[in-house]
Parts: sequence; structure tokens; C-alpha cells
Amino acid sequence: MASKIMGTGAGKTLQQNGRKTILHNPYFQFVLFGVIIACVPLLSSAGILRSSYITLVGSVLIYSVAAMGLNLLFGYSGLISLGTAGFMGLAAYMSAYLTSNLGLPFELSLVISIAVPVIIGILIGLASLRMEGLYLAIVTLCVSEVLRKTFEELEVFTNGFSGKTAAYPKILGFLQLNRDTTYVLLVVALVIIMILTYNLVNGQTGRAFHAMRGSVVAAQAMGVNLLKYRLLAFALATAYASLSGVLYVHFIKYTYPSTWTMGMSLNILAVIVIGGLRSIYGTILGAAIVFIIPDLLLKQIPVLGQINGFSYIFSGVLIICVIMFYPNGLIKVFPELAGLFRKKKGKGESNG
Amino acid sequence: MAEKNTAVHTLAPDEILQVKNLSINFGGLKAVDDLTFTLKEKEIFGLIGPNGAGKTTVFNCITQFYKPTAGEIWFRTNKGTVENLIGKQVHDIIRLGLVRTFQNVELIRELSIIDNVLIGAHIDFKASVLSQALKLPKARREERELRQQAESVLDYLGIVELKDQLAGGQPYGILKKVELARTLMCQPRLIILDEPAAGLNDVETEQLAETIHTIRDKYNCTIFLVEHDMRLVMSICNHICAISFGKLLANGTPSEIQNNKSVQEAYLGAEED
Amino acid sequence: MSTFLQLFLRSLETGGIFALAALGIIIIYRTNNLIHFAQGTMGMFNTYVVTFFFTTVGAPLWLAVICGLVSATLSGAVVDFVIIRNAKKVTASGKEIITLGLIMIFLGITPMLFGVDPLSLPKFIPTGSVSFFGAAISYNGMLNIIIGLAIMGFLFYLLQKTKLGLAIRTTASNEYTARLMGVPTRSVTLFAWALAAILGCLAGVMIAPTTSVTLNLMDSVQVNAFIACVLGGFQTFYGPVLGAYIIGVLKNLLIYYVSSVWGEQILYLLIIVFIVFKPWGLIGKKTIKKV
Repeated sequence: MASKIMGTGAGKTLQQNGRKTILHNPYFQFVLFGVIIACVPLLSSAGILRSSYITLVGSVLIYSVAAMGLNLLFGYSGLISLGTAGFMGLAAYMSAYLTSNLGLPFELSLVISIAVPVIIGILIGLASLRMEGLYLAIVTLCVSEVLRKTFEELEVFTNGFSGKTAAYPKILGFLQLNRDTTYVLLVVALVIIMILTYNLVNGQTGRAFHAMRGSVVAAQAMGVNLLKYRLLAFALATAYASLSGVLYVHFIKYTYPSTWTMGMSLNILAVIVIGGLRSIYGTILGAAIVFIIPDLLLKQIPVLGQINGFSYIFSGVLIICVIMFYPNGLIKVFPELAGLFRKKKGKGESNG
Repeated sequence: MAEKNTAVHTLAPDEILQVKNLSINFGGLKAVDDLTFTLKEKEIFGLIGPNGAGKTTVFNCITQFYKPTAGEIWFRTNKGTVENLIGKQVHDIIRLGLVRTFQNVELIRELSIIDNVLIGAHIDFKASVLSQALKLPKARREERELRQQAESVLDYLGIVELKDQLAGGQPYGILKKVELARTLMCQPRLIILDEPAAGLNDVETEQLAETIHTIRDKYNCTIFLVEHDMRLVMSICNHICAISFGKLLANGTPSEIQNNKSVQEAYLGAEED
Repeated sequence: MSTFLQLFLRSLETGGIFALAALGIIIIYRTNNLIHFAQGTMGMFNTYVVTFFFTTVGAPLWLAVICGLVSATLSGAVVDFVIIRNAKKVTASGKEIITLGLIMIFLGITPMLFGVDPLSLPKFIPTGSVSFFGAAISYNGMLNIIIGLAIMGFLFYLLQKTKLGLAIRTTASNEYTARLMGVPTRSVTLFAWALAAILGCLAGVMIAPTTSVTLNLMDSVQVNAFIACVLGGFQTFYGPVLGAYIIGVLKNLLIYYVSSVWGEQILYLLIIVFIVFKPWGLIGKKTIKKV
């Protein structure tokens, strides 16, 4: 309690001894993270960052939301879904249609655009999750093929190949957001998702997910209803993907069928594998690696960077290398570096 | 089947589990063949037999991981009723007060020891997913209380200081204890232990014998175990059932079993090394 | 009647293509215990190789196909040699993620090597057809049906009657025991990866003339091969082949009689319903997991 009013000097010592400073409170960390990320538009209006970075970082935040859901599904529960992009697209098209064509308020459209994909998800989960995990992958692949075709062909609803547009959200019916404020909305949504996910995975639900992945038989013997918890994990992943799709369409402002392909689902999967399975910050790190590095760095490389598909190779190679050699993901680099540093320091002190 | 399930079967007041004419076939092979035995309350009951006798299969049938071809399994539940376990869902068995361990320790490597133990309290977590996500008071209280309970169980088994370490990478003896701790979280009436001493050294095995005794008294439950270590079985069990090739060989007190001709024959060779 | 017969003959051709792709998936599933998601993408890549040799180098089609098969063998072997063999400690689902990573790599490499424009690959026999009872099938369609059946016949002979087949089946049923018994499981898996790639390439070469050679060439074949495995069950080699022919017939019927746009999509949804009623497929049965 005293830590809240501590000065910086005292903070440092307490941090080392007591470990109870507010900086160690995970919720404070999430909010602090949000505040820092929310500064991007400020930096851009101050001329420090190019304004296109707002869109880039914003889409990383959006993909992080979907990836967080996939992490619950694959990282915790061990189930593979190939339908992430399909559900994101479905929610994006729905929200665009509901707000632009039917004139529904943003909040209502958000709820409906999450509810419908979740219901579809539960139905296909009921069909496929009674067996071993492999069926979910195949069934979600089928569903995403059906959805892709729907985006292309159901023109009254999706406007076909020319794509569908949407506006920045209007909150509570009067607060019209612009690009920068929508960006702040993305940050708020991501921080809320981080907190909810943190609570879930550290509670009994998270342990039940762990048990399903780690030992199916132990989970069953301890009373975990496999179908129920697999469905829950899949429904949560679908809900996160749908939220991400809604945020996408109201931030990027348009949606094309070609966005929601298998390649996108694989990219989201790459996010969690590369960043770190079962890690909240790892998911965000992964999203940054998969979606920023190809855009910012790889394109600067002469010749190679100009070739179409180089970013796919980058993600693909990273996925395979991380799975084989660094299965906990790149987020584990930080604690390991810190450990190395401490060891060196310790050695130096004992030598000295 | 349905008739059998609803038929009222009464166990004698001091009985907790009755396996009646149990059989299971795997593609023509009779892994368990018309097996019948009864466990009394507060007993430490041992199931022995040479390798491949079908001991673990019997456990898997009782806990419904396998669906028996024929037979009945009557159990006095924690609600005092007597129910046939056949046809129940695997995950519902623990709710009746019957919990088990596994031959190859089945823990979650990526979770801390105390979290592994908390999985054993799964059925006692009543807060909804939403209240867990929002950390509503109910969810907090539940988590706090059960965590305390898990700590006291770990304390009782002498490994509370390891509670925050990951299960992955711990020595085998510790893992066995964690798995045992996990079974104690649900106020069990009957604990099934599948080879609790496998992989333990002599000192640990002796400790285990002591622990099993005190668990029985402290938690007021019955213990049913499969074990290869004959010394352990003979020293702690009140009652032993010996099987071979899925069939009952003998049933009796440790000394009766030791002097039984057919048991000696079945073990001949196996006992000598 | 003749329309139906016509559809049936065409289904034999599409079913055969699906069956080749499905066999590739199932042979990896049985020997490595994982779902090979990159089967279709690798087939697409090797079809590009064939197209490259045919259009750019100017080789005759048969030679181009041989070059493609060599490239398929190599790509399969490289995947096994470089990745799978070194991923012993990776869990089964981790290995599936690896195959998903392979999709990304091949999706990236292909436009790098062969450009982004759609290419085309001609039929082996450009024109001519035979007719049975008023239903016509092109010579090329006949050829595809025959090649498909011949390859499958050869594979089943290989699996059931030869020593290599025995080794594959032993590895499929229990890799660990097979290794203890002296089965060269490493060579078996190497062979399986190469074979899967060859089957994928053949399926690609057969489907290519009906469409254009693009990155999405094998998408539909891949999904249909998967649902063929679901329909036939993952436990046998012949189940998925049977499933593939059924899928071929159903697909063409749905496209012709119900909807040319949505036929295939309806089929995918029907398969999901099928799983509800027969989760282990037509041939497969529930496997008991040892506890």
C-alpha cells in the first residue's frame, strides 16, 4: 500500500527487496502499456513519427486481439483452428453492413457481429470437438473456404470483389471518432482484452485449458468436461477474432475478400508461435514481428525485399525455427537476457 | 443396460465398491474376464498380478476410461447413494467421490506445482467464466480458499516450499507426491493409486507406505492400489486381490495370498529375480 | 441418364485427383502421426516447376513432368531431412504447426521463382474423346483416370505385398516398436515425405489444365482431400481413396444439379454434418487410447 506514494528513490530499493511495488502489479503494467502505446498519435502529430505508423501500429493492435484468442485455443488448449481469418472477415463484413446499410449504432453492431460468429463457432465446435483435435483444423478450414466464397459471391451483403467500406465508429450515438481517437479505442480494447485474458488464464478456466493440452486423461479424471472446455476455448477464440474483425473494419475503413484468406489465418498463428505461446506480451511482440518487420525493414532490403512473398518466407522460417529451437517464443529472450546479465554481474561482483 | 442401472443394488453397510462379473475384450483378447471383488470402507485394498494381468485395465474400467463389455461396478458415492458406474461420463466419476492417479505421472509440465494440485479441485470451482474474467468477489474468494487448501495439502505431504516451481523438470518422487496431492483436493471417498511406488527408491517407498496409512485416517477414505512392489503391498494392505490374465486367482488377507498355491505359480520366476 | 453417366465419368477423374492428394496426406498421417497441411501447397509449387520447364525451358510435357516429379522427390526429402528429422522433441501439434509454416515458405518462394502472373499448363492429349452410351469423356480424362488408378493400384500392391510396404505399415501402427524391431523407420519416413510430394505434384499436374496455374491452384484439391480423409476415416489407406471418389461424385452432382457457384461449399457443410453422425468416417472405427 505504501508503495503507491513512494518516491522513485525508495521505489528502487523496495522493488529489489519487497517485490510489492505497484510496478509489479500486472494490472498496472497492462494500463501502463496501454498508455505508452496510446502515445503514438501524439508522437506523430509532434512530427517524430510518420503518420502512416498510426495505421501500422493500429493494425498490429487489432491482430493482437485475434491472436490473443488463438493463443487461448492453441497455446493453452492445444487445438488448431484455421478459421481465424474467416471469422474476422465475417465480423468485419457484418459490422460494415449493419452500420452503413442498416444504420445501426456501433455498439449494437459490435454485439451482433460478435454474437453471430460465436454461435456459428459453437455449432461447428459441437460437430467437430467431440473427437481428437485434428478435426477442428479440417472443419475450420472448410468453414473458412465457405466464408471466403461468401465474401466474394454474396454481393448484396459484401459488395463482392470491389470491397465494402465502413466509417469510423460513433460512440454512444454522438461521439464521432476520427483516426487518432479510433486508434485510442483500439488501445482501450486491447488493454481490456489483456486484462480479461490474464484473469481467465490464471483462474480455474486457464488451468482446465492447460490440463486439456498437457494431459487429456488427467483432465478427464479431475472432472474437466472436455467438450465443454474445448467449446469454451473455441468460442472465446472466435469472439476475440470477431472483435478484431469489427475493430479492423472501423479502423481501416474497408474490407476485401482477399484480406481474409488462409494466409491471414497462418499469419495470426505465426504471431503466437513466434511471440510466445501462453504469453500475453508475447502475443503482442509476435504481432509486431509478423506485421511490422516485413513492412518496415524487409522492404528496405534491395532486390530481395521487393519480391512478393518475402514476408511469408520470413514468417514461415521463423515459425519453424521457433517451434524447433525456441518453443517458448521470442518473448523468453528478455528474461533469459536479464538472467544472463544478472549472472555476469554476480560473477563480476564476486570476482571483485 | 438401462434396467441394470436403475435397479437398486444394496451394498452391505461396510462396503464401498463392488466389481461384479466385470469383463472387457480388446479385439478378441479377454483383458479382464468375469472378475468379481468387493472393497470395504476404510480398507487399503491391493490389486496384484504379473505383468499384463489386466490390473490397470480394471482401474480404467472402474473410472470409465474403458467401457467394459459386461459386468457391473457398484459404488457408494459421497452422497450416500449406491450407483452403478457403468455408462457414466469419465469426467463425472470424480464428482461421486472417486479419484485416481496414473501409472505414468500425468501432470502438466508448464504449470506450477500448486496449480497442478488446484486442477484436482476443478469440481469445487463454481464461479462462472464471466466472473473469473472480471475477478468478481465470488471468484476471488473461491480461488483464495482453494489455494489455501492446496497449500495445506502440499504442506501435509512436505513439499509446500516447492509450490511455485514448475512441475516440468522436478524429480520423479516429487511428481508422484504432487499427483497424490491432486487426488486429495476433492474430499475423496475412494482413491485409486496406479503403481504409486514405481520409480521410487527404498526410502521414498517406506515414506509412501506411511503416507498412505495416514491419508486413509486423515481423509477418512478407502484406498485401492495396484503395485508391483510386493513388500509395500504386503505391509500396508488389509486385503489383496490377485489376478492373472484377467481372471481372479485369489482374494484374501496378505498372509492368505502369500500362502496361496496359484498365486505362487503365477508369480514363479517373476518373484525370483 | 447420359448426363448422369457423363457426370459420373467426370467424377472418376476429379475423384482420382482427390484420391492422389488424400493418399499423400494419409501416408504422412500414418507414418508421422501428423496432419500434413502443406501437401497441397507443395503440390502447387512442384506444378509450377513443371510449368516452368514446359513454358520457359521449352521441354516436352512428359519431360517437364519428370522434372517436376524429381523436384517433388527432392522437396519432400529436404523437408524430412532438414526439418522433420531434427524435430524429434517437438510435439505432434508442434509438427503440424511446422507444416503450416511450410505453407508460408512455399507460398513465398513460388512467386519469387516463377513470378506472379498466372501460367497455364496444357492437357497431355489436347483433343479427342470417347463416348460410352451417349456420355463423352476426353482422351485426357481417360488418361487421368487410368494413371490415377494405376498409381493407386501400384501403391496398394507396394503396401500390402512388399517388404517396404510392410515396413511402412509397421511404422504406421507403432513407430517405436518398429524401430526396436529393426525397421529402418528413418528411411520409411523419408520415403513417405517424398511419396507425398510426388502424389501432390501429380494431382497438381492433372488439375492444372482445368484452371490456371496460380498460388491457389491446389486450394480446392487440398480441402477436398482432407474431407475425403474425414469421410473415409484416418485409420486405413483405402478409406480415404474411397472417400475421395465419393467426394468427386458428390461435388459434380451438387455443382450440376444444385448450384454451380455454391456446390462445393454445400459439400463442405454436408461433411460437417456427416462428422456429427459418423465421427470416425465410413471405414474407420473408434480407437481406444491407452491410459
